[in-house]
Amino acid sequence: MDATAEEKRRRELITAPLLRRESIGDQYHVLTFDVPQGIEARAGQFTMLRGAEWGDAPLLPRPMSYLTAGTMPSVLIKVLGEGTARMARAAPGEPFTLLGPLGNTWQPPSPGRRPLLVAGGVGVAPLLFFARELAASGIRPIAVYGGRTARDLPLEDELVEVADVHVTTEDGSRGRRGRVTDVLPALASDKTEIYACGPDRMMAKVAEHCAERHLRCEVSLETPMACGYGVCLGCPVPLTDGSYLYACTQGPCVDAARVAWGEGAHAPIRRELQGTP
Amino acid sequence: MTSQAVRIGALTLKNPILTASGCFGYGLEYDDFYDVSTLGGICTKGLSLHPRLGNAPERICETAAGMLNAIGLANVGVEAFCTDKLPVLRRRNVTVVANIFASSIEDFVAITERLDREEGVAAIELNVSCPNVKEGGIEFGKDPRMSARVTEAVRKKTRLPVWVKMSPEAGDIAAVAMACESAGADALTAINTIRGLSIDANRQRARLANCTGGLSGPALRPIALRIVWELAGKVSIPIIGIGGVFTANDAVEFMLAGATAVQVGTANFSDPRAARRIADGVQLYCEARGIGAMDLVGRARP
Repeated sequence: MDATAEEKRRRELITAPLLRRESIGDQYHVLTFDVPQGIEARAGQFTMLRGAEWGDAPLLPRPMSYLTAGTMPSVLIKVLGEGTARMARAAPGEPFTLLGPLGNTWQPPSPGRRPLLVAGGVGVAPLLFFARELAASGIRPIAVYGGRTARDLPLEDELVEVADVHVTTEDGSRGRRGRVTDVLPALASDKTEIYACGPDRMMAKVAEHCAERHLRCEVSLETPMACGYGVCLGCPVPLTDGSYLYACTQGPCVDAARVAWGEGAHAPIRRELQGTP
Repeated sequence: MTSQAVRIGALTLKNPILTASGCFGYGLEYDDFYDVSTLGGICTKGLSLHPRLGNAPERICETAAGMLNAIGLANVGVEAFCTDKLPVLRRRNVTVVANIFASSIEDFVAITERLDREEGVAAIELNVSCPNVKEGGIEFGKDPRMSARVTEAVRKKTRLPVWVKMSPEAGDIAAVAMACESAGADALTAINTIRGLSIDANRQRARLANCTGGLSGPALRPIALRIVWELAGKVSIPIIGIGGVFTANDAVEFMLAGATAVQVGTANFSDPRAARRIADGVQLYCEARGIGAMDLVGRARP
């Protein structure tokens, strides 16, 4: 669904100092900001994040899902390019601009259905936020969390606190050897609703499996974008009806059945990068 | 307090700062950030006769101090603009410059006639310089005779001021500018993006689905400034400078080079309040020197 008028009204551009940076290995970092007035973001929404003193380069803010909101909003970043590398070096006190909250939220689960979260790597952020929201309303979701190696499972311990977690790694260094889609079939049923965020290749596979079994599946899409609020038109996602959806204002959370998986761009699978890193 | 008002032909703007087409939507997306009616004006996303979906992704990527885009002129079409967007802008007293695009002179005229029937459009800006569409666009803007024909055809069909947006890829941009002036253009906007390319070395292919895209942002600024400087010596109609303006100082440079007003584009993406901030900064610059905005125009010229 589109961001509601109320959500749009609350979005604003805030300059806030970095409160702390917690490194998880060398690739993943949790950045927490000091925002005394608070940010009323919900799980699934994102912020456009940029160093306030970056000057001309990197030029654009980076879209990042909120990991937490409130007076200490945080994001989980993976180092993929110059922008995220700068974020990964940021010291406490360094000012950032946070534009948000942007985009829509995860759809609440239907009564009687248990949420099944499928996370890949850095895609865990909006799902961990969601699991914490669900915990607050007394729901404990199932989660499948996959990474290439044991080092690609940031915030696994935090996820375990709020969900029943099944871990997979491609090299078998942690949990079951394989991919999330190897364990998904046994866990998914018509008593579950699936929520996925991770690399496009993973989400496409999850969407395919859910479509075959007529299970509701929602994905959080990740595309390059310049503005985050419907102006640059840089984030179209091809839909099965031949039209485009803009991930910023009509997403990032989208019914997986609407997405024309594999039809994006000139690539068989849309780019697996976080924004324009 | 010095005057920030500037005159573009018969049109007076509150101040010299406008937002650039394609970088400000339809002007309604910025309500959360500031009152857009306080700007000199806004240029709409390029309007075509019929709605356009735009190009396949990827459409954008970042480059050194700039970005490439190949959006492909995705827009709601002139009719939806007139019925859904313009009434709101009119109620809010926003100074609206309608940027229009077509692949034939007939369509340029048809869009113009539709806009001419509406109240609340301050000027029409002809996009004869889009690098990202297969037909029309830049092919008009590279050729003095074609640019003049479009300008003349549109000029005859509207009471509104007509601005023509220059392509930096014209072989002889001064010739295009002079041809547009002779054909009745009220002002020139300089410049549109320059085609560029970015290749992903890991994946060994172009980053954009369209392969090439228009380069915008600070990387473009010295080229844009040079072109404004050159054109200001060739035409007597006002020039609206555009190209990588990120700070008030950048805007002032364009005015000193000969621009009467300045458009802010890509900077809106880095900072949604960029145009407002730049307008304030230009005012401070003028007040510190006890001069009005019009006094800046061409002041650095020998």
